[in-house]
Amino acid sequence: MNAVAVAPPRSLLCELTYRCNLQCPYCYNPLDLGRPKEELTGEEWLSAIDQATALGVVQVGFSGGEPTLRPKELIAMTRRATERGAYTNLITQGTFLDDALLDALLDAGLAHVQISIQAPERELAAEIAGTDVHERKVETLRRVATRDVALTLNCVLHRLNHDSLPDVLAFAEREGIRRLELANVQFYGWAYRNRGALMPSRDQVMRGEELVAAARERLRGRMDITYVLPDYFEELPKPCMHGWGQLALTVTPDGRVLPCPAATSITTLAFPNVRESTIEDAWYASDAFVRYRGTAWMPEPCRSCDRKEIDFGGCRCQAFLLTGDGAATDPACAKSDRHDLVAAYRDASPERDWSPRRPEPAAR
Amino acid sequence: MAHKLARGVRLRREADGSTLLLVPEGIVELNEPAAAALALANGSRSTDEIVAALAEQFDDPDGTLRADVQALLADLAERGFVTS
Repeated sequence: MNAVAVAPPRSLLCELTYRCNLQCPYCYNPLDLGRPKEELTGEEWLSAIDQATALGVVQVGFSGGEPTLRPKELIAMTRRATERGAYTNLITQGTFLDDALLDALLDAGLAHVQISIQAPERELAAEIAGTDVHERKVETLRRVATRDVALTLNCVLHRLNHDSLPDVLAFAEREGIRRLELANVQFYGWAYRNRGALMPSRDQVMRGEELVAAARERLRGRMDITYVLPDYFEELPKPCMHGWGQLALTVTPDGRVLPCPAATSITTLAFPNVRESTIEDAWYASDAFVRYRGTAWMPEPCRSCDRKEIDFGGCRCQAFLLTGDGAATDPACAKSDRHDLVAAYRDASPERDWSPRRPEPAAR
Repeated sequence: MAHKLARGVRLRREADGSTLLLVPEGIVELNEPAAAALALANGSRSTDEIVAALAEQFDDPDGTLRADVQALLADLAERGFVTS
C-alpha cells in the first residue's frame, strides 16, 4: 500500500464515567445510554494509558461524565500518566474536588484543572445545571487557585446565559483567573436534541465577540480568554480535531476508542474497544479511524477546495447529524449544498422556550 | 526580574533530543536555544543571566540571541506560561 505515513496520536482523553450529579441540557454524553455498560476497571485504564503513551501521547485528559466520581482510579491514572512523562488535565465540574482528593491528585502529578461554571451567579447556574451546586464550585475554584497547578475556568455559553457574559468576565477577573474558556455550545448529544432551547441569537453571539475583544485588550498579559464561536454562525467550518485521526483519541467509559469525543453520534461507524483491540490497532488500522483520515474520502466541494488541508472538511459528527452522511461536507460550510440546514436552525429556531430535556442525574 | 515556568507548565525531553513545552491541553515544540532558555528559567535568573548562559552554549553569528530570548519570554509571559 502506498499510504502516506500516519502520525502517532499525541493526546488521549479518558472518559472515566458517564455518571454526573449535574443535568446540564448541553451534556455531551450520548443520548442513548440505555443500561450503562460496564465501566472499564482501573487496571484496564492503566493499560490504555501505557499503550497510548508508548505510541506517542503526551497529553492526557480526564473527563466524563464527572471523573471525580471515580477518585481511586483517577488518582492512579494521573500517577501513571505522569510517570510515563505525559501532561495531565482534569476536566471537572468541581463539586467533589475536596482538599483530600486535590492533595492526592497533586501528589500524583496533576498539572492542570479545568473547572466549569454554568453561570456567574447561583440562581441562573442552578436553573441550567438542574441542581444547586454553584457555591460549592466557587469554593473549589478558590481552593484550586491557591495550589501549584494550572487552572482554567470554563463556561459554556448558550441562549439562557449569553447575556450574562459581562458578569462571567467580571467574575473571572475578580477571582484572578489566568485562563478563561468561553465555549459557545456545540450541537452534539444533548445539545443537539435541545437546539431550540440553547441556540443563541446572532445578536448575542456578535455582542459576545465584541465583549471578549475588549476584555482581551484590557486584560492582556493577565488573562488569556478563549472564545469559541458556534460554527452555525460562521461561513467556514471548524477544523475539527485538526483532522480525523490526526492527533487525538478518546476512550469512553465502556472502552470504545473514538477519533473525537462526539464520534458516537455517527451511528454507522463501529468503534474498536480496548477490551478487544490494542490502541495501536485502533489508531492505525480500525475502519473508524481510517474512514475519514486524510483527504481521499472527501466528496466535492471539499475535494477541490483549497482549504481542505486547513479545515479537513469540517466536522464529521455534524455532517452525519444534519445530513445522515458522515462523509458529507460539513453543512456549517457556506460551500455545502446543505448549508440551508444550518441557516434554518440558526435564523428561525422553532422552539426558543427554555424547556430542555436533560440527562438523568446520578448520585455519588 | 527573574523568570520561571508558570504553575502547571512543564518541559519534556523527547527520546530524539528535542524538547516540548507542555501546557494546559497544549503542546509547544521548542527549538534548541528556546529549550535551553526555558531550562534556565528557574526563578533565579534575569533575562541578562539567561542570555549570558546561552551565549556559552550557542553561536550567535547574527547577534540576535538577546532579542530572541526577550521575544520568547515576552510571548510566553503574555500567554501565562512564564512568570516574571
